Amino acid sequence: MATAMAATAVERAVLEEEFRWLLHDEVHAVLRQLQDILKEASLRFTLPGSGTEGLAKQENFILGSCSTDQVKGVLTLQGDALSQADVNLKMPRNNQLLHFAFREDKQWKLQQIQDARNHVSQAIYLLNNRDESYQFRTGAEVLKLMDAVMLQLTRARNRLTTPATLTLPEIAASGLTRMFAPALPSDLLVNVYINLNKLCLTVYQLHALQPNSTKNFRPAGGSVLHSPGAMFEWGSQRLEVSHVHKVESVIPWLNDALVFFTVSLQLCQQLKDKISVFSSYWSYRPF
Amino acid sequence: MRSSLQAVVLWGKKAPSHSITAIMITDDQQTIVTGSQEGQLCLWNLSPELKILAKELLFGHSASVRCLARARDFSKQPYIISAAENGEMCVWNVTNGQCVEKATLPYRHTAICYYHCSSRMTGEGWLLCCGEYQDILIIDAKTLTLVHTFTSSQSPDWINCMCIVHSMRIQEDSLLVVSVAGELKVWDLSSCISSIQEKQDVYEKESKFLDSLNCRTIRFCTYTERLLLVVFSKCWKVYDYCDFSLLCTEVGRSGQFFAGGEVLAAHRIIIWTEDGHSYIYQLLNSGLSKSIYPADGRVLKETIYPHLLCSTSVQENKSLPFVMGYINEKKEPFYKVLFSGEVSGRITLWHIPDVPVSKFDGSPREIPITTTWTLQDNFDKHHIMSQNIIDYFSGFKDGAGTAVVTSSEYVPSLDKLVCGCEDGTIFITQALNAAKAGLLEGGSLLKDSLPQKVLKGHHQSVISLLYPHGLSSKLDQSWLVSGDQDSCVILWNIFTEEILHKFFLEAGPVTSLLMSPENFRLRCNQVVCCVCSDHSVALLHLEEKRYLFCARKHLFPVRMIKWHPAENFLIVGCADDSVYIWEIETGTLERHETGERARIILNCDDSQFLKPESVLSVASETPKHKSVEPRSSSSYQFGPVPCPGLQVEPSCKAIDAKSFSGPFNVLPVKTKWSNTGFHILLFDLENLVELLLPTPICDPSNSFNGSEILRRAKSTVEKKTLTLKRNKTACGPLSADAHAKPVSESLAQGDNSITFFEENDGIKRQKKMKSSKKTHPKPSRKFDANLIIDAAKLLLSCLLPWGVDKELDNLCIKHLNILKLQGPISLGLASNEDYSLMLPGWDLCNAEMKKDCSKVNLFSRKVLDLSNKYTSTLPNQAGMPKREENDCDSLQESNTIVYLLRRLFLVNKLVNMPVELECGIDSSFKMESVHNKVKSPGNDILHISSFYSYLRNDKNESHIPEADVSLLKLISCWRDQSVQVTEAIQAVLLAEVQQHMKTLKNRPINSQPESITENGKYEKMQIQPKMEWAEALELQCVTDSLPLQTSTSLVKHDSNSNSANFQDTENMPDRCVVEDSESPERIDGNVLEQYGQEHLSMDFCFCFCYVLKHT
Repeated sequence: MATAMAATAVERAVLEEEFRWLLHDEVHAVLRQLQDILKEASLRFTLPGSGTEGLAKQENFILGSCSTDQVKGVLTLQGDALSQADVNLKMPRNNQLLHFAFREDKQWKLQQIQDARNHVSQAIYLLNNRDESYQFRTGAEVLKLMDAVMLQLTRARNRLTTPATLTLPEIAASGLTRMFAPALPSDLLVNVYINLNKLCLTVYQLHALQPNSTKNFRPAGGSVLHSPGAMFEWGSQRLEVSHVHKVESVIPWLNDALVFFTVSLQLCQQLKDKISVFSSYWSYRPF
Repeated sequence: MRSSLQAVVLWGKKAPSHSITAIMITDDQQTIVTGSQEGQLCLWNLSPELKILAKELLFGHSASVRCLARARDFSKQPYIISAAENGEMCVWNVTNGQCVEKATLPYRHTAICYYHCSSRMTGEGWLLCCGEYQDILIIDAKTLTLVHTFTSSQSPDWINCMCIVHSMRIQEDSLLVVSVAGELKVWDLSSCISSIQEKQDVYEKESKFLDSLNCRTIRFCTYTERLLLVVFSKCWKVYDYCDFSLLCTEVGRSGQFFAGGEVLAAHRIIIWTEDGHSYIYQLLNSGLSKSIYPADGRVLKETIYPHLLCSTSVQENKSLPFVMGYINEKKEPFYKVLFSGEVSGRITLWHIPDVPVSKFDGSPREIPITTTWTLQDNFDKHHIMSQNIIDYFSGFKDGAGTAVVTSSEYVPSLDKLVCGCEDGTIFITQALNAAKAGLLEGGSLLKDSLPQKVLKGHHQSVISLLYPHGLSSKLDQSWLVSGDQDSCVILWNIFTEEILHKFFLEAGPVTSLLMSPENFRLRCNQVVCCVCSDHSVALLHLEEKRYLFCARKHLFPVRMIKWHPAENFLIVGCADDSVYIWEIETGTLERHETGERARIILNCDDSQFLKPESVLSVASETPKHKSVEPRSSSSYQFGPVPCPGLQVEPSCKAIDAKSFSGPFNVLPVKTKWSNTGFHILLFDLENLVELLLPTPICDPSNSFNGSEILRRAKSTVEKKTLTLKRNKTACGPLSADAHAKPVSESLAQGDNSITFFEENDGIKRQKKMKSSKKTHPKPSRKFDANLIIDAAKLLLSCLLPWGVDKELDNLCIKHLNILKLQGPISLGLASNEDYSLMLPGWDLCNAEMKKDCSKVNLFSRKVLDLSNKYTSTLPNQAGMPKREENDCDSLQESNTIVYLLRRLFLVNKLVNMPVELECGIDSSFKMESVHNKVKSPGNDILHISSFYSYLRNDKNESHIPEADVSLLKLISCWRDQSVQVTEAIQAVLLAEVQQHMKTLKNRPINSQPESITENGKYEKMQIQPKMEWAEALELQCVTDSLPLQTSTSLVKHDSNSNSANFQDTENMPDRCVVEDSESPERIDGNVLEQYGQEHLSMDFCFCFCYVLKHT
């Protein structure tokens, strides 16, 4: 009995020692690692104002799809904004070629990239003021910090992985349609979004439904990509999507960023797991 | 209308964790409000001497609170708004802690500013919000709906901080914001109100790039109307408001992060940091500017340099980050206060001198801390109130210290509280008695005799419990499943206290146990799912005592479990939004999905799912069960079937109010990031009254004499037997009947709660369950009468303001048979969405009550005034049931209790009436006109008079006495004067009790047994099965020898009331809903039930029409 008591006492001492090491050393090591990764990730987003070179550099992406060549687009990305766009559309019926581009003076903010970038910088901010000199006292403190950081990182990732589900009237009303220099013909709708690591452009061709049409009018709900046959009401007109063209291009640095998010999320979770192993021994008294 | 429940909190010795993320002081400098990462708000009382005392904890958010702000002109309405991480917004009334308005918008706010321009705006004003979205949202302060946005034409981005600038000179308001990227933008406010209301786009007037990131605060100096203070995390700057030219920059030390600042006076500012330091600077005009930039071609510009006057700091470096704020004095006795809140839950105050000066040698002076306080301080100081529900176990455990409860589960059907402890033992006890023992004086007598069971089998702390029968009535009633820290799950028989099977999962600590839904069956049986903290999920087959498989591949904690009955799949949703699909039969991973696909799988509605509470939050997750529509037979089955309505919210609610069912419940609560929790006792007044209603509606004293009772009783019994026979053949109304007979059943079942032969109890009960199963499919669904009356008494004990009048106390103890409180208790109010719970020590928050230690539990001084007002409006003759003649004391006692409860219920309803339906104060005349209108159709007279009999318990009175109208009026007035519900209830209770006891004061206690009721009882007994009869007799022997006469009184009382009720229903045939005409004998508890319900609903209708009429 006595030896058993002694054994548990020794065991407890060892565990206590180990936990102290975890709080004092290991946590900071992980935090530093996290900071490095996230800094790397935020560099990918080229934060404006962080550098002195002024404007972020421009990148051109040629969007295409393997199945059709009816739509081709060249989009220029400058940080989180689309600064130029050239879209070529071959009309399926008469093979007529349509070309339209952004107005010179206009930029289109990609909200998804901006949000992801802001979430990352929030996560970095949370980590920033816990440098080596800061002493974590309780496991719960680390858990709370990790939860806050993970929340931001999850949101950053989700912004990129889940494009907004828009209804067709919402697309029609968005500012993007008003960005083009020869104004977009009324039977065309465009939408640009990020899906995972890809920059996607969708072009919807519309035709008006006759008011006396026998077709059952049912307005389509929100969706990332509407399929042909989706109907909606715009102004006084009822419209139906006749053709959908989707082209996309991989943005390499978005891919990197997503990998960084995943890695850092896993790091956070592993740290949480390590802490919770100990909290089961220490849970009922202050550390 | 919100339904609210009375709550009594048993906090325990340890304060719940409250990691402050937001802090503010209200404009009257009487309350500090903090928001926590756990999702609760705390109201702290701030005395004129700057002493802090925590008052109330508000539960309403299910995620971390991000920001707090004023939501109205504070002098008119003491409302504040809180916004949470998940988009929830709540408007709270600070004085009574009630949630006034709640909304969830898909926006996460980081800062909110209240704006109201009385000259150009109607309504309550706007909440200007910024957060994790572009630009500024304008939200209506009253309805919390989106009004419009301020949009930016140039580089729209998230906004970090903002301030409203009101310039006296030009009488124009503008909004200044700084974006994440460091861009300062200005919108016109007051001149844009109309265009905002017309939903036109409003763009910024000016914008300027400030060249720094992470802006924390922007403040305008109202004293000079010129300087603009902008605090970034790495530096702070002062700008000239006229042209936004930079006047001064001060860069922080390395490792120092600024968090905010404020302008103290002209040219004097205070800056604070993330680690709790603050610095007061004098801004000095520098004549040097000319010599610094002489050659520069720019216009000569004055510069400013800061001179450090004072600083503050916390003694030692506590937990980061601090959230701080500064409030200026508004009126004479008020101070300039700098306040901070820490993640550890500590609040610190500094009193900033009016004229801060540096030391004589010019070095900065340190301003000392004025006050500091934590929640735990409240708990340490006010020990007696923080009773834990199982504290009495300490005596039981040979002085080994109190057991720390790590998990608990309340079984309403048995009134058992199951507590798993840190040392691996599991206690099972009668919840109501345990609560009594903990709260009431003389409850210590109960302590020793309290029936309790101890299950020993775990070696580590028990962290999860599941009572399967509570979720699915088909499962064995004796089963209890418990999981511990060591990954061991034990299946118990709680009646025999034996281990049926021990499962060793060889995974992490078992954090939650879930039952598969009823329609999901594996080999005809349901499956228990164990979620472990190492992210694995194990499935157990209870019937076969088999360990099916353990799903171990999850990288992130399990957030959601769904069952796919058709294909036998277990769908596991993880915290990283990925989904794992497991085949249950083989235990193989069928699919792993992430992203969009995963979302679709989790959101599809065709399959049943259950959400486990995450590791960090509350333990109890019983399926949603509305307590609002009581007594319909379907609402009483609370299986897990109606789950699709469950929210898919990833973050878990702290408290699930909807799990409440029945008049009394114990809700175990655990907050995030802590292992210990507390218990809330919930009382549903409505339900209590309803369940007791068949008893009080009769007033035998003036309508019929004793012999008639006898006759009636006899006939009831005969009819009852008939019904019973019918039940055996008919299947349809069977279940309805079964749970609608609390009275007859109470004799059989109610005894167990007070039988002290606890060893036999389990076995007896089991037998009984088996025997009763034949007749009642769901015997456990009803609440036995003893429990109800006990709960009612406990509630009265808790609500009554003891110590106001010594004599009154004694009379209450004698006549109502209730016990005095040991000390002030933590009352609370719970509605469907939010809880407000008083903290230990709340009674000391009112300064004037400090000296009065004799008064226990008096909610506020106001109660006495209100109570006096109420008494003065009471009719001269006591409104109490008068039973001077031949009533036995116990009957009177319970009748009085019911009467009191009904009064309280009515008051509760009236005071809780929505504000929109407020009625005018001059309502008494209209009131009568309403009454006349309703009265005119002949049939309704009954209703209206029944309403008044309900109020006054006086059947023969068909006209409405003036007094009652004025009472109603008075209570409605209280609502208008924002008297708190608890105050009103306590006042009415006090007045009614005083009134009642006055009549009793000189009367000797009539203690001789009543022959009539005895007879009635005898008749009653005949229909009981032999065994139960014997038991009842035995019970009587036991209880007779006890000082508490509850059980005996009940027996008599029940039988009597039953007969009387029957008489009632027969007298008013138009109101009895007799289901089939061919057998009019079928007037039993069921009909009585409906009768009672009708009575009650009539009441509501009346209240409603009363109120509606007057808007």
